[in-house]
Amino acid sequence: MTAGTAVRTAPSPLRRALSATGGNGAVVWAVCVLLAAALAVANPAVFLGQENLANLLSQTVVLALVAVGQLFVVLTGGIDLSVGSVATLTAVLTAGLINGYPIRVLPVLIGVVVVGAVVGAFHGLLVTRAKLVPFVVTLGTFYLIQGVAYAYSSTPVGAIPNDLAAFAILNIGPIPAIFVVVLVIAAVLTWVLTRTRFGRHVYATGGDPAIARSAGIDTARITVTCYVICSVLAALAGFVLASKATVGTPSAGSGLELSAITAVVLGGTSLFGGRGKLVGTAGGVLLLALVENAFTLMHVSSFYQDLVRGAVIVAAVAVFSRKD
Amino acid sequence: MDGTGTPGPPLFEARGITKSFPGVRALDGADLTCHEGSVQAVVGENGAGKSTLMSIITGVQAADDGTLAWRGEPLRLAGPHDGLAAGIAAVYQELTILPHLSVTDNVLLGQEIARRGVLDRAAQRARVTEALRELGLGDLDPDTLAGRLSVAQRQLLEIARALVRDARLLILDEPSAVLAGEELERLFTVVRRLTGQGVSVVYISHRLDEIEEIADRVTVMRDGAVVSSGPIAAYDRARIVREMVGRDVDQTYGSPTATIGDVVLDVRGLPLPGTGPDGVSLTVRAGEIVGIAGLIGSGRSRILRALSGLEPVRGGHVRVGGKALRRGGLRSAIRAGMVLIPEERKTDGLVLDLPISANVTLPVLRRVSRLGVLSRTKERAVADRAAQRLRVRASGVGQRAGELSGGNQQKVVLAKWLETEPSVLLLDEPTRGIDVGGKAEIYALIRELSAAGLATVIVSSELPELLGLSDRVLVCRDGAVVAELARAEATEEVVMAHAFGQLDGRAS
Repeated sequence: MTAGTAVRTAPSPLRRALSATGGNGAVVWAVCVLLAAALAVANPAVFLGQENLANLLSQTVVLALVAVGQLFVVLTGGIDLSVGSVATLTAVLTAGLINGYPIRVLPVLIGVVVVGAVVGAFHGLLVTRAKLVPFVVTLGTFYLIQGVAYAYSSTPVGAIPNDLAAFAILNIGPIPAIFVVVLVIAAVLTWVLTRTRFGRHVYATGGDPAIARSAGIDTARITVTCYVICSVLAALAGFVLASKATVGTPSAGSGLELSAITAVVLGGTSLFGGRGKLVGTAGGVLLLALVENAFTLMHVSSFYQDLVRGAVIVAAVAVFSRKD
Repeated sequence: MDGTGTPGPPLFEARGITKSFPGVRALDGADLTCHEGSVQAVVGENGAGKSTLMSIITGVQAADDGTLAWRGEPLRLAGPHDGLAAGIAAVYQELTILPHLSVTDNVLLGQEIARRGVLDRAAQRARVTEALRELGLGDLDPDTLAGRLSVAQRQLLEIARALVRDARLLILDEPSAVLAGEELERLFTVVRRLTGQGVSVVYISHRLDEIEEIADRVTVMRDGAVVSSGPIAAYDRARIVREMVGRDVDQTYGSPTATIGDVVLDVRGLPLPGTGPDGVSLTVRAGEIVGIAGLIGSGRSRILRALSGLEPVRGGHVRVGGKALRRGGLRSAIRAGMVLIPEERKTDGLVLDLPISANVTLPVLRRVSRLGVLSRTKERAVADRAAQRLRVRASGVGQRAGELSGGNQQKVVLAKWLETEPSVLLLDEPTRGIDVGGKAEIYALIRELSAAGLATVIVSSELPELLGLSDRVLVCRDGAVVAELARAEATEEVVMAHAFGQLDGRAS
């Protein structure tokens, strides 16, 4: 099992068990079930109410889009800090450009996807061609794109047509319609990661770029594609944000980048690339939404909210994100 | 094209290949011709340029100068992708298996069977199973994670990966470094089937018995150049060795001159994975050089890492100079006088961007500073003396460590740890990636240090080096020390037999 420098420390049985199951997100889903059960027992009337469940699921939508995109980049061994800014920019563009005209919805949606693709391709090319560090590249664009959003409007801008706004908050029983849309996107991308040649190449690229290249894989193309997927999903998240709020706020997506990375890490994905599953990231998103939901149900003050969030992240990193 | 072998038409030709790395000229006008349906052996010592030449043939690296031709047409390789597309596949010496992917995914890496990008899992499974069966891995579940396989199995996966590519030119880079016995025989059977189908095979090895068995033609390399090339019938062992080494072997490694003193390093029952209840025990005396041999993954390097404190170990007793070693990792080992010269010189041994002086004084900063403030003068003085003692060739101790040749870098690493005045020196692959001249200098230094009374433990994949230097040789297999041989009885054959477990009827 151990060629050369593979094993440095003998891991404890607990850590071994966690890292064996952690990679596929089983742990985060188990924690989700426990937390949901606890909430259901503590406050069954409210937590299990249709309204709360719909609210809970609806809270996952934006984060799910951004986190799944982040997963693709993290799988290649990179990171994208700009996703929150991209969502903010597309939120103000969506509301500002549609400005209440239903006829403009589709063109703007397409435009938003194009904006995402351009940003992603820019990131990908800087990382693969110019060989810049992803962290620094996307930290730069994090500020840059936020700046563009502010330049477009420093106050909430535009308007969303009634039909789109209604769809954004439409619930079918306890299930938001938009949640179904995101579920379909997630299912398709799971299929892409597990059943397509591209998916294999993503894991190989992140696992070891040199090995992937020597097997004839065009790692640059794979990496650029992953950045494009990431930014397009972030752009769609901005579209959803604007639709739900019926207006574009130049702070709509702030903080999303950190939540997305948190969800990816909670889902057992290695920040060094090559390991991780979409179902795990989905579990991470659900866990974050459940924690938020618990805060609301239990009227936790915002000071303690940050405290709990921080503790959850540190615990998750301690369990999942060690070098191996 | 003289002699007995009647090779098919040339499939591939490399002419005048030259390649330099900072500080080393790896290839100096090397030529290689590969014929259809024939096995071309490439032999040479480590550092002769074999692997570099192969990386150029596969397109992994670009040559500084020289030309490649495929069936007489000029061949340009911008990357490994081009090489694979032309029909050139390689099985590399360093394992390129991705541990977190399945056996199937590893074998078909970059070669997935897919319809419009969607994997055809049934076809993939059938293809992989077929290739595995041919290599004797028929009962391996293709869905197993590759990280769970043994080193030999991983090597077979690499070969399977090359097989499924249907390459016209197949390069095998020292497969016998990890394969033996039945596995190697099976590989030879596969090679014969492939050459029967007109495939050209390049077989790299420095084990002459294998070459005699499988090769049609031989190319001997030394110091980045081709010494000679011809049909196997034109060579006998003596000629190959003479051309490979190009000098008197005994002179290279020197002979033991040090007087052996008291036991300095005494290890009792060090529990490492695979050692069983007794653990690893060994003693090294002052002035003695003990070699640890074994295959990659046999645990030989782990013994060094455990002793140096890099790898935490619970239990067992380690005494250095009669005093029990407190287990506190690297620092307490250094304080006790035991230092490790690590395998990865460039990442673990040196700060490449810092000058020689800063590297040398790194472990003894206290000595060259006052109240936490560095004294440049003292630092320079210490480094100058150390560099002189170890004959480091540089423009001065202000030169960046990264600009030095491999041999001089290794001297700086040695100098750095000698500043801590150790009594035990642990050397992990001390001459890896160092050219022949540099090696001889490192050997001379090791001899000098041992003559000065240091107890030395060496791990090396290069058996001639290990046997040439050591007073005593321990052989590791599956984590345990399975044999201890005196200098006189430690021949390559005996050591390899122990390493592969052929002496106790257990093929591993």
